[in-house]
Amino acid sequence: MLTYILRRLFQTVGLLFLLSILLFGMVNLAPGGPLAGQGQSRHIAPEKAAILKRQFGLDKPLPVQYVIWLAGNDWMQVDTNGDGAPDGPGTRKGILRGDFGFSFRTRQPVLKEINLRLPNTIYLMSITFVLALALAIPIGILSATRQYSIFDIVATTFSFAGQALPEFWLGLIMILIFYAWLKNPITGAPLLPAGGMSSADGFVLSDRIIHLILPVTTGALGWIAWYSRFLRSSILEILPLDYLRTARAKGVPKNQVLYRHALSNALIPLVTLIALDLPYIFMGAVFIETIFAWPGMGRLYYQAAIDRDYPLLLAVLIIGAAFIILSNLIADILYAYLDPRVRYE
Amino acid sequence: MTNQDSNIPLNIDVPGDPEFRRQPATALDPGNILLRRFRRHPGAMAGMVVLAILTLATLFAFLSPYPADQSDMVNRLQPPSAAHIMGTDALGRDMLTRVLYGGRISLSVGLIVVGIGLAIGVPIGALAGYYGGRLDAMLMRFTDLFLSLPAFLVVILLGAIISEGTLPFLKGNSIWTIGFVIGILSWMTFARLVRAAFLTIRELDYVTAARSLGSSDLRIIIKHVLPNSIGPIIVEATLEMGYAIVQESGLSFLGFGIQPPTPSWGNLLSNAQENFTKYPWLAIFPGIMIFLSIISVNYIGDGLRDAFDPYKVLERVGEYT
Amino acid sequence: MFNKTRSLFFLISVIIGSLLFNACGAKTTPPASSETSATPKNKNITLVIPEDPPSFNAVIAYTGYDALAMKMVLLGMTGIDPDGNVYPELAAELPTLENGGVVQDETVKTMTVTWKMRKDIQWADGKPVTADDVIFTYKAITDPNTGNWIPGIDSVDSVDKIDDYTFKVSYNTISTSYLTLFGGEQVAIWPAHYCDAAQGFSAWDCGRKPLSDGPFVLDEWLQGDHLTFTKNMNYYQKGKPDIDKVTVKIVPDATVRKQMMINGDADINMWTNETITADLQKETNVKVSISPNERFVMRLFLNTAAKGTTDAQATPHPILSDVNVRQAIRMAIDADTISKQIFLGFSKPVWTEFFRPPYNQCNIARPKLDVEAAKALLEQAGWTDPNNTGTRECHGCKTGAPEGYKMEMQFITYKEYGEPILLTQQLIAEELAKIGIKLDLTTVEGSVLWADSSGGGIEQTGNFDIDLWDDGYAGTDPADFISQYYSEASITPDNGWNIARWDNADFNNLLADSSTLDTTKRQADFCQMAQILDKEVPMILLFTTIDADAYSTRLEGVQSTVNDVVTWNIADWKVVK
Repeated sequence: MLTYILRRLFQTVGLLFLLSILLFGMVNLAPGGPLAGQGQSRHIAPEKAAILKRQFGLDKPLPVQYVIWLAGNDWMQVDTNGDGAPDGPGTRKGILRGDFGFSFRTRQPVLKEINLRLPNTIYLMSITFVLALALAIPIGILSATRQYSIFDIVATTFSFAGQALPEFWLGLIMILIFYAWLKNPITGAPLLPAGGMSSADGFVLSDRIIHLILPVTTGALGWIAWYSRFLRSSILEILPLDYLRTARAKGVPKNQVLYRHALSNALIPLVTLIALDLPYIFMGAVFIETIFAWPGMGRLYYQAAIDRDYPLLLAVLIIGAAFIILSNLIADILYAYLDPRVRYE
Repeated sequence: MTNQDSNIPLNIDVPGDPEFRRQPATALDPGNILLRRFRRHPGAMAGMVVLAILTLATLFAFLSPYPADQSDMVNRLQPPSAAHIMGTDALGRDMLTRVLYGGRISLSVGLIVVGIGLAIGVPIGALAGYYGGRLDAMLMRFTDLFLSLPAFLVVILLGAIISEGTLPFLKGNSIWTIGFVIGILSWMTFARLVRAAFLTIRELDYVTAARSLGSSDLRIIIKHVLPNSIGPIIVEATLEMGYAIVQESGLSFLGFGIQPPTPSWGNLLSNAQENFTKYPWLAIFPGIMIFLSIISVNYIGDGLRDAFDPYKVLERVGEYT
Repeated sequence: MFNKTRSLFFLISVIIGSLLFNACGAKTTPPASSETSATPKNKNITLVIPEDPPSFNAVIAYTGYDALAMKMVLLGMTGIDPDGNVYPELAAELPTLENGGVVQDETVKTMTVTWKMRKDIQWADGKPVTADDVIFTYKAITDPNTGNWIPGIDSVDSVDKIDDYTFKVSYNTISTSYLTLFGGEQVAIWPAHYCDAAQGFSAWDCGRKPLSDGPFVLDEWLQGDHLTFTKNMNYYQKGKPDIDKVTVKIVPDATVRKQMMINGDADINMWTNETITADLQKETNVKVSISPNERFVMRLFLNTAAKGTTDAQATPHPILSDVNVRQAIRMAIDADTISKQIFLGFSKPVWTEFFRPPYNQCNIARPKLDVEAAKALLEQAGWTDPNNTGTRECHGCKTGAPEGYKMEMQFITYKEYGEPILLTQQLIAEELAKIGIKLDLTTVEGSVLWADSSGGGIEQTGNFDIDLWDDGYAGTDPADFISQYYSEASITPDNGWNIARWDNADFNNLLADSSTLDTTKRQADFCQMAQILDKEVPMILLFTTIDADAYSTRLEGVQSTVNDVVTWNIADWKVVK
């Protein structure tokens, strides 16, 4: 097992290296660039463009940019004032030493930008996740044990509806219903706030909860559908197996067979699936965050994509990829740990 | 569990499933059983009907008396009426016509995505699973590389990149571009499914027999192995198609989807949202179309999955060997 | 096995649970201003904007949201009011030729400007705002290693201190926009004793935690969520501002922002588009301030060089290099219908660059809408449709296009503007189809359309036939804008925005001649230039686009302006309800 993990970790390094080239190329070769104007200025003045190019390091050939991004430029001479002559060593350390550069948009270190958003995303997504699971597991079990019953049909339809409504659309409808149309009968205020994390005045639990209701509901629907369907089919897969028949034949009560034997096995793939989905907690949900004004990673990334904020884009992509690889590894290890039939050498 | 045992698919012979079932083959033709089981799934049947109607309607969109793109400023923003069943939009174009043409685009994007997924995923999975060894390791590392990409983030990025580029075939925000953007990141599941199925099936007696009779590898793969691993692929393809339609609408919302004046359900929906309270028909009808098509596709997938159920075991065993 | 699963679940829930708790703890924010409550005496207001300001320094990214935040905490030497008049902020008075603040050397075309500063303005820490701060700001901007660029800075040779409240700017040319060099919409003066020059103008910390000399002081900035400000007790205008607290909320979705205005949860919605303006005008608790002057004009850019090239002399455009074709296109477009139907009447027809005060004195007649005349002009220019295909072909045309060359072109616009520009694009294409010109519609991102040529920018590389978007200049001096779009020097890719690659010697001479402080002479030059542009049609101007901000009826004194962002006069706003 240990050698297996070590081997996988070793492969991860190689994978990340390949990914870094792939992603760097993709981001930088994109047409357009960070120098085009936005907001009030359509065109950027030529004089300003020259300065920004130098400050962003975009004046160098792409392979050099890659090396600097990867390994920094504090070991080489850099021309910082644009006179063509080197002025001294650079300040970048490169991502290998944990320096993801600075955001073109805000000129702040990329990691600082991510740090400001990541907790919010993890906060929203993990609550959504836990809630979705808490509902999806019983729904999945009931759907499977009562296959084709009314409950199953209703649950299935709702699950599919959850997947069939685009999130941005569902979110907007939610706001129209609960913010624009429905009023609190006592105060006359809107029933639920339109978005944001709080109505300021610090952290108040009740305030936070009412701000969470709409984004969590909107986000959880898809997850509930996903997990309950998955659990339903993995239980259905296991129910006809011989050992359950044997247990029943031996006289073990039905429910005990179901919950003790069948369910514990059906949950194994679910656990690994959850492990595989963990990166979403990091990457956030761009639609939910946009509609409900939640300051998370999804929006940060989307804004960066529009602004062509290369360092920020790359950092989110690379860190996201690392999370995915890691969670894959965790999923495999979990699987081996939980399922005695699987062994790694 | 009274009614249940009869519903549990039990007694068919499943090729490639040596671990869990060793019942003798029944006299029934497996294809027949699949069909029977699928038909017993009311949702799946309803889904089939709805999707068929939708598809036919979009195919016959040209029968509409209204042009899809020509403006008619006199009749702009009309609510639904006898002349315009779904009302008209900001340029006075008939919404029904646009919704139908949009459906053609959205469904085509779905098909393209699935097509790309199959075209890349199936050969990679087949080669890896059939030959194993070094090739398998190499192809699976390649698959891992794509699986490690944060999919939706890369879709956003690719949407921004490719739609702006001037590659041949992938010009602007055409259906091919959007299909490619979504499809290039959704073939990995196909590859894994096919590989898993191949890993088990290639060791079975009838394959060994075919091989010893001198059949070429290609022939064995296409004639013997692929048909027997088709179940999970079809299920996955169905679901992928629904997923692609939703993704296109999401890309439209972010500004990277199919661009007007070409209508798609996604861009019709996302363009209408600003005026939802004033002109609800602009958003409701494309919304209903997306909803109906996805729900149908999901039901069909569900019915197929239930029909193919035992095959699912393959996926699980195969994936981790 | 069951226990294993169960223990694992337990473990996962503990991990997720603790994550939750951590995030809770981290998110505890200090008390900030609240949403509008029922009590009328509350003088707290909420602004909603779609994205974070990149910083408080509007020079860096210039998204408008940075300017909005900057205007609340920092002052420049001058500002520009809605009518385009420059007014002093840190300056005690405006230097002019008449009061001796400006000294010209007509022979070598240089000038010096002496600025006197107010002595009663302090930073929030009590230190006075002095000439040292101005010189510090100038040095920071022009630092070759870490600096940036502001319009007009290249014509400045030096900025020298005369005394604590007086400094002198020496120019190497006649600068017509000298009044807004250290002010206007973009530029503020930064505190020398507080900002760290070593961090550089673009990245310094005080650009995110500014020391205030404006009406408000930043309390807190929770990125992506909100910024809160309180009244600056040290503000130099006594009794102002009236507002106690300002919360700037970041709400990305326009529909949600609109609904927040209707529900009274927001008091200012910056930059409302035509649709939302029309909707909000119907609400009783919301008013919309529409700028009295216009800035952004929807325009068609016509490439007179062949697609993909940038030299109209060597490789003229096969269709658009003929001025008759350009005139015919202008005649065939019904700008009024588009502006009425799509832009809901919030726009004014515009047909000359010189439509804004003070240089709007030229009598340029509005070109007629005349489809038949347009067709006749095309026939005359050798573009005919002998086979009635609906698309004209070159039969004796004068552009050098081969015989039979079809009148088919690509027509590009950008996405970010949203649906109105896409509908406009389509209507224009339909109108040109009526006169036999076929257009292939494309939409791209602004960052692709306007990128420099190394970034593959469509315009800079000349890779377009016709494109459509909106632009206009800040302030009152059109000279720089005109020069960027029409001058000979700007034809070179990445050297300007003359993407029509249009070159006219008379025009260039007039432009050079207009570089003077004599406004009468400038007006005369501009009118001659306007006539050349009207005849030559290097660009087709259609109509202005709206510049509006919605505000709650709780507020008085909100005034939208094209010369600045809505918070330009936030110190004068009053809470009345």
